[in-house]
Amino acid sequence: MNAFDYRAPRTVDEALAILREYGEDARVIAGGTALVTMLRQRLVRPGCLVSLRDVAGLDRVDATNGALSFGALVTHRQSETSPLVRERIPVLAETFRRVATVRIRHMATLGGALAHADPNQDPPVTLLALGARVQIRGAGGSRELAIDEFFRDYYESALAPGEIVTGVTVPVPAAGSGAAFVKFLPRTADDYATVAVAAIVTSDGDRCRDARIALGSVGVTPLRGRAAEALLSGERMSAGLLEAAGEAVKGEVDPLSDHRGSAAYKRDMAAVMVRRALTQAWEAARRP
Amino acid sequence: MAHRIVGQPIARLDGIDKVSGAARYSADVTLPRLCWGKALRSPLPHARIVRIDTSKARALDGVLAVLTAQDLPDLLVGRRMFDMPVLARDRVRFIGERVAVVAAVDPDVAEGALGLIDVEYEDLPAVFDLSDAIEAGAPVVHDNPGAYEGAPAERPHPNVQSVLRFKLGDVEAGFREADRVFEHTFTTQLAHQGYLEPHAGVVALDEGGRVQVWASNKMPFRLKELLALALRLPPERIRVNLTPIGGDFGGKGSIMDLPLAYHLARATGRPVKMVMRYTEELMAGNPRHPSIVTFRTGVTKDGRIVARRVKALFNSGAYAAFKPAPSVNLGGTSMGAGVYRIPNLFIEGMCVYTNSIPCGHARSPGEPQVVFAGESHMDMIAREIGLDPAEFRRRNLLVDGDHLANGHHLEHVRAAETLEAALKASHWDEPKPGPWIGRGVAMTHRHIGVGFTNARVRLTEKGHVILMTALPDTGTGAPLVLRQIVAEVLGLSLDEVEIELANTDDFETDSGVGGSRVTHTGGRAAYHAAETLKEQIDAEAKKLGIPVTSLAGVAQAVAREGRTLEASHFYDAKSHAAVTSFTAQVAEVAVDPQTGQVTVRRFTTAHDVGTIINPIGHQGQIEGGLIQGLGYALMEEMQTEDGRISTVSLGDVKLPTILDIPPLTTVLLHDPVGPGPFNAKAIGEGSISAVAPAIANAVADACGARIRDLPITAEKVYAALREPRS
Amino acid sequence: MTRVIRLSVNGTAHEVDVPTYRTLLDCLRNDLGLTGSKEGCGVGVCGACTVLVDGKMISSCIALAVFADGHEVTTVEGLAEDERLHPVQQAFVDAGGFQCGICTPGQVVSAKALLDENPHPSDDEIREWMAGNLCRCTGYYKILESIRTAADRSRA
Repeated sequence: MNAFDYRAPRTVDEALAILREYGEDARVIAGGTALVTMLRQRLVRPGCLVSLRDVAGLDRVDATNGALSFGALVTHRQSETSPLVRERIPVLAETFRRVATVRIRHMATLGGALAHADPNQDPPVTLLALGARVQIRGAGGSRELAIDEFFRDYYESALAPGEIVTGVTVPVPAAGSGAAFVKFLPRTADDYATVAVAAIVTSDGDRCRDARIALGSVGVTPLRGRAAEALLSGERMSAGLLEAAGEAVKGEVDPLSDHRGSAAYKRDMAAVMVRRALTQAWEAARRP
Repeated sequence: MAHRIVGQPIARLDGIDKVSGAARYSADVTLPRLCWGKALRSPLPHARIVRIDTSKARALDGVLAVLTAQDLPDLLVGRRMFDMPVLARDRVRFIGERVAVVAAVDPDVAEGALGLIDVEYEDLPAVFDLSDAIEAGAPVVHDNPGAYEGAPAERPHPNVQSVLRFKLGDVEAGFREADRVFEHTFTTQLAHQGYLEPHAGVVALDEGGRVQVWASNKMPFRLKELLALALRLPPERIRVNLTPIGGDFGGKGSIMDLPLAYHLARATGRPVKMVMRYTEELMAGNPRHPSIVTFRTGVTKDGRIVARRVKALFNSGAYAAFKPAPSVNLGGTSMGAGVYRIPNLFIEGMCVYTNSIPCGHARSPGEPQVVFAGESHMDMIAREIGLDPAEFRRRNLLVDGDHLANGHHLEHVRAAETLEAALKASHWDEPKPGPWIGRGVAMTHRHIGVGFTNARVRLTEKGHVILMTALPDTGTGAPLVLRQIVAEVLGLSLDEVEIELANTDDFETDSGVGGSRVTHTGGRAAYHAAETLKEQIDAEAKKLGIPVTSLAGVAQAVAREGRTLEASHFYDAKSHAAVTSFTAQVAEVAVDPQTGQVTVRRFTTAHDVGTIINPIGHQGQIEGGLIQGLGYALMEEMQTEDGRISTVSLGDVKLPTILDIPPLTTVLLHDPVGPGPFNAKAIGEGSISAVAPAIANAVADACGARIRDLPITAEKVYAALREPRS
Repeated sequence: MTRVIRLSVNGTAHEVDVPTYRTLLDCLRNDLGLTGSKEGCGVGVCGACTVLVDGKMISSCIALAVFADGHEVTTVEGLAEDERLHPVQQAFVDAGGFQCGICTPGQVVSAKALLDENPHPSDDEIREWMAGNLCRCTGYYKILESIRTAADRSRA
């Protein structure tokens, strides 16, 4: 690797100032679980690595106004084990639990995962289904983006140069809703998903009031299954409806063929996993 | 017969060094002024080297030397067939071939320097596909392979490295006798041995001008011989110092990068360490050969096999250099006959050159490939002729007095008993617990390895015994087994026997570790050395008039005369014993019809064994081999496209994790008839080969999908389930 | 660029001047001579490089050495106390949870971290925690047994 400068600012302002100083020559690092491998393989060659590890105040999980707010440096392991998350948004804790291994989860951060924008990651899928909002700061000030708008392309987020994620707010699902995260792992247990689905449904008796479906590993970004959601909205839940929802998803995904499966297989599995996630979420919604 | 120490489940005390981090593997060796070597590798599968410019690399701060083929003697290396240059001279033949090498003050600087070496290539037509490579007009990987030292004479096509045949009877006549004939073709994937320790080595030139070597290599004497040839030095100038090895599984028997480390050590005047990154292992290690295997079997109406023809093609990649057998082929070819009596048999195995990664030996070389094909084929025939797969096998199993494909005569054959044991323990005949659940059986056998090994034992004044061995520790627990044997023979407790690890100066030669031979040859060497020492002790004790059990007394008396009691034995098992070891395995799987995912619910493995010297170690070998077989069957694959391996990290190879292991039942059938000490047999390579076909057969039983191509992925099963049935 | 880092390793304070690109693993192995932690896959997957930083297990091959500045690192060499093996290490020896030993330092460090956090894990909990520690020799059965043994002994 090249001998890059290494800076470890203690505040967000300091970090932003360093990013301004180095411009495109700087890369931000937090957990490093993706970036260090890229550095070792010489896929990236920054002049300066800006570590956020010592920035104060970004490692908390708090409850505020029907939502949970996460600092960008909250590790996956923290999210997985946080009593607040497990109690109020258990599907999110469960999702973090499925990421890689405990070692990785001790280092990988929420902000880093979002900035990395790998469509094969698990947390963005569930965050998308939950309607999370991402807080961003840069030279021009602060802004907030719905997570639907955060992922642009394969490894490309909406972060402008010099911007960093500072936090994520996740609405707590409404009472009467049920959620599920399904990760299809046909190879080994420690893999990225071949297909992942997060589903949140709200019941109204035996009708589905609404559904939110998000999928991972089926396109260049995590995707919402909006056609499937539309089919479900207001309808009486049935096997036939689930079947139709699965079929609808096939038209919305655009998977890439890779070691984990061909595009055609992933497309078919998207339907299967959506049906399974919806079934589990519905059962959870209907439990008293 | 119960022994005092042999057969006891004694814990391995070499574990203390391993659990504490004190064990020093080759990559842990450090010397004063050590520097680091890194190899530049070809990005093209077949090309002429036009020009190499190393000037920018040489100028990089911290770089100590840069070498190309021009700086090295013009010679070729190998293990049996010498067809590979140490650095590519005028031509590269696979992506990953070494083109230049750098020494620098730290590994990062060395890797940085690689990026500064300019190589101009001119593409040559390349061939990757195994079948294409032996078609007329295929691009030729080596212009004149017959001219290489060690090259077999027969060459039906310039891209054939070797042909190995086994014949019994008259196969054409046999097929005419058959009532029905079946033919099926199977393919298996490129698969790495998956040891967690990448190849590593340190080479230092000492003040006496000797070459000191530490390397992750399991046959140090052969390494010394091959290095002597590669470096053009007399063998006495080289000393291989043994280090424990972080997993071998057949893959660590070559000189790999050591000649480069030597030349860098000469160029820099400093010791050189070279450690492969795992990406380099996946590009240029010597993995298991991919294969295309066709079985054609003729059976009578009552399910007896009368004829079989097997054609196995192995994709050996760009060089034959990594194959150690004199045939330059894979011994597993002979497993075309499986565990069956086949009066008319013709097996042909062909190793083929392509512009891909050169392959080598992996646990049970050639066997998982051929046994996957053969045991899947058996099940397919059974279903066609309406017989239970177990019954079809029963009607054809080898019995005492039969001959193997290689002509070996067999005694104490327990094939039938081993099969019955597996079936019983797996509840074969009971109804399945639900739909989409299936059971599959597969069998194999594995000879007890041969080779030649030394042992030397000497009596210390304390009355303890030191056993000197030059067998490196590859993890199988051999040192403890050897100690148990010596302790048993001499009537000592285990604490009273220590191992002293020799180096290549201490013995003349040794075939090292591999081929399931160590308990046999190493054990026999230790046994006979201990027996000789016992005779000496008994004689001295008698002379002195003291009890033969007073070893300290004898030792001290002898020491007063300035002597030490010592005995050596060189055991050379020239030919295979007339016994083999059978394995029968049953997999019970569940198939998810919506996704094709296969889950192994339970696995049963039955082994026909001799005397077990250490039950913990023995079981460890069974379990380890079995899970390697599981990975081979379901998960592992090195994916390639046009000679480029796209599986670039160990994470992509998909080795099984602790979450992937099935509940396991082991059944051992004891028959103390092995050629090893105390009638031991062998176990190191017995549990791997039948796993894949057992699973494939279980999948077919569960859902009708017959997968003939490894690994058995969910996607393949899913696709098979959706094929229209003919 | 280099940076002077101050870290405590197995209770001993160290000051090391490292290039910024140096991984924690390389720093431990080459700068501090602690070769117990191994490089296997080099991408954080196999677990051979597992160390604890402030008690949390991480892959040291993908952690920069500079990350450890001001922190406490525990490696396999730091588990034994006064020449006595840590109970987890002893359990691995007794139950035969190793063969070639290259993954063993990572296995015992991870197992110790598990039992520190959860002294009586179920089999499922053991397997989930240890899923990131690959082993090619043992097939894992005896690793599981070793950890169960260590947990059972601590209960006794």
